[in-house]
Amino acid sequence: MNRREAIQRVALLMGGAISGPALLGVLNGCTPKKAAEAKSLFLSGEQLSLVGEVAEITIPRTDTPGAKDVGIPAFIDLMLKDVYPKADQDRYLAGLEAFDSQARQQHNRGFMQLEPEQRVALVRGATEAALAAEAANTGPAALPRPFVLMTREMTLLGFFLSQPGATQVLQYNPMPGPFRGCVPLKEAGNGKTFATEQVQRF
Amino acid sequence: MAPDKNDTYDAIVVGTGISGGWAAKELTEKGLKTLVLDRGRMVRHGEYPTATKEVWELPYGGRATQEDLQRHATAARTNYVVTQATKHWWVDDNEHPYGETKRFDWVRGYHVGGRSLLWGRQSYRWSPMDFEANAKDGIAVDWPIRYADLEPWYDHVERFIGVSGQSEGLAQLPDSTFLPPMEMNCVEKHFKQSMSTNFRRTMTIGRTAHLTAPLTHAHSPQRGTCQTRNLCIRGCPLGAYFSSNSSTLPAAEKTGNMTLRPNSVVSELIYDEANGRASGVRVLDAETGEQLEFKARVIFLCASTFGTAHILMNSTSSRFPNGFGNDSGELGCNIMDHHLQVGASALVEGFDDQYYVGTRPNGVYVPRFVNIGKDKRSYIRGFGYQGGASRRNWTRLMNDPVLGEELKQKASEPGPWTMGLGGFGEILPYHHNRVTLNRDRKDKHGLPTLTFDCEIGENERLMRIDMANEAATMLEAAGYKNVRALDRGYSMGLGIHEMGTARMGRDPKTSVLNSWNQVHACTNVYVTDGSCMTSAACQNPSLTYMALTARAVDHAVQELKRMNI
Repeated sequence: MNRREAIQRVALLMGGAISGPALLGVLNGCTPKKAAEAKSLFLSGEQLSLVGEVAEITIPRTDTPGAKDVGIPAFIDLMLKDVYPKADQDRYLAGLEAFDSQARQQHNRGFMQLEPEQRVALVRGATEAALAAEAANTGPAALPRPFVLMTREMTLLGFFLSQPGATQVLQYNPMPGPFRGCVPLKEAGNGKTFATEQVQRF
Repeated sequence: MAPDKNDTYDAIVVGTGISGGWAAKELTEKGLKTLVLDRGRMVRHGEYPTATKEVWELPYGGRATQEDLQRHATAARTNYVVTQATKHWWVDDNEHPYGETKRFDWVRGYHVGGRSLLWGRQSYRWSPMDFEANAKDGIAVDWPIRYADLEPWYDHVERFIGVSGQSEGLAQLPDSTFLPPMEMNCVEKHFKQSMSTNFRRTMTIGRTAHLTAPLTHAHSPQRGTCQTRNLCIRGCPLGAYFSSNSSTLPAAEKTGNMTLRPNSVVSELIYDEANGRASGVRVLDAETGEQLEFKARVIFLCASTFGTAHILMNSTSSRFPNGFGNDSGELGCNIMDHHLQVGASALVEGFDDQYYVGTRPNGVYVPRFVNIGKDKRSYIRGFGYQGGASRRNWTRLMNDPVLGEELKQKASEPGPWTMGLGGFGEILPYHHNRVTLNRDRKDKHGLPTLTFDCEIGENERLMRIDMANEAATMLEAAGYKNVRALDRGYSMGLGIHEMGTARMGRDPKTSVLNSWNQVHACTNVYVTDGSCMTSAACQNPSLTYMALTARAVDHAVQELKRMNI
């Protein structure tokens, strides 16, 4: 286990919603002032917990690491702070609030208090509805992505570009050698999808 | 050795991109003491900060932040060049602003090597037809040269840089001396067959300045063969593709005749009224703000199409009150580019047991087939397609509500094949498409800025409809599914193939440069970057700039010997 993995594992044990400086405190043997005050960059600790849960439902730990293992909650927090314009930030926060409200309406409890299968059902329902709306859009411009799809996009991007995602779930070949154009799938390395750089909206 | 103020050289080259690198190499190899100036910072071959970073070592999943997008707003209009792996190559638009009467995408990299580090590397010869087109159509002015004038220089350049490709024997796309072609994948091979059977049209593998085998000369030991990482735009630590940094500048340095001075912004040419020639250049040190002058017997302007136009327009004297060499009034006019972002894509079934190994930094190419022989369209000139087939990756799962373990499983399986074709179309040289100097708005050095006023015309609009339709028709004929023709819109500059601000021509009354790329009215100034172009053809232009530059240097050295300049 390298140091980065160690940090990620510790983060997982502590619930995932913890920032770099606080983590360093843990690793250095100090006690952070208050876990609840752990600095997030854009989202509150509670919001980050919910987002982390949605990310983990999207890509859970199986025999390979999951979203929380590779640090997706912190990744999303940083992306929201620096990569997204204000309109997207605002829509994300409002959508997050609405998503939690939906849980309360349906189950009289917030998303984080639901049973695991209830959470999955809520994420699935919201995702399917949002994708159906995107598919039905015939306008010239893409629809602004709602909370659930922005979370999905950032989760996929962060995970499949992470070392575990790229090397364990996908196939990573940093120095392929001369291009071979026609290779039976079974003979193309281990037959998995090759990981490549991907930075645009997808 | 650092150049001293008031030093005198045999030659000065302004710019170190595709053209400037070639001018530096050829001049120094022919024995001229040459000062090579670039406005940007030094980048030595191998000094590519992100070249060996793994994808997970880049912050933000590689995406540009809001701050990055603000700083590199114009480059970001491409939607693909500003990333965490590449953002250091693009100019800061806040420091180097420009004006747009109509939207114009001016994508710039200010550093030694310029955009030769960032180019698409597609390398196609122009054909006899392209040099004859203006005369035949009665448009703009005739090229003062023909294909035969340039042919030996294409040979010369291709041999040195290494171009991988396949000979096809086409009149409209002359063959080169190629390194081995990159391989097509299974779907591309199928499509090539369909094109041949259904349309008698050629599709060939992209001709690209990558080494698929060692070079046939020993002058570039720093260059290795392509390992298909497809991270070229970061700079290649293997030297597998041609750039000034990996190829021509090391060759020039080896001669001992080159003095390379980065951070040197050329503000103007110095005109010697008494002798009717340019005596040197005025330089602003980008770091210290110091003003310097350098003298030489011959000057090569290779500062890029608009960089060169800027210098010429800013070089006024009693002889040239409207800009250097601008007796014709054509300086800054006739701006061309290639229009793109139009074509078609499709889903391809029946190849699910096939894949490929490597990320080929190259696609396939469909040479122009319109307005050739008996083919006649509602517009003149033509277009080629660049494209390719590949299997979808995990990004397709964005549109699939799958979750959890099932998502991971699907991501690990290569997705369906898609095949796409995107057109590169010729833009005609319209006199009214022009750039002017704005002396009221200054850049961070206090120099005037440029203002663009350009747009495509009816010929290009008609061509775009055809570019979408022909692509869709060919994909349908191959039996592919979900064929989608698409025009994502285009504004001038987006092709990053800007040309034409100081065109070559036979008559000094209607052109800026003569048949040897000399300024008509001042023959010790040569201009060999994209500004010299008289028409645009539809092939990527860099290879032609290199050939024109090598030819012009050969001429300049002979003229110096004959004491003509």
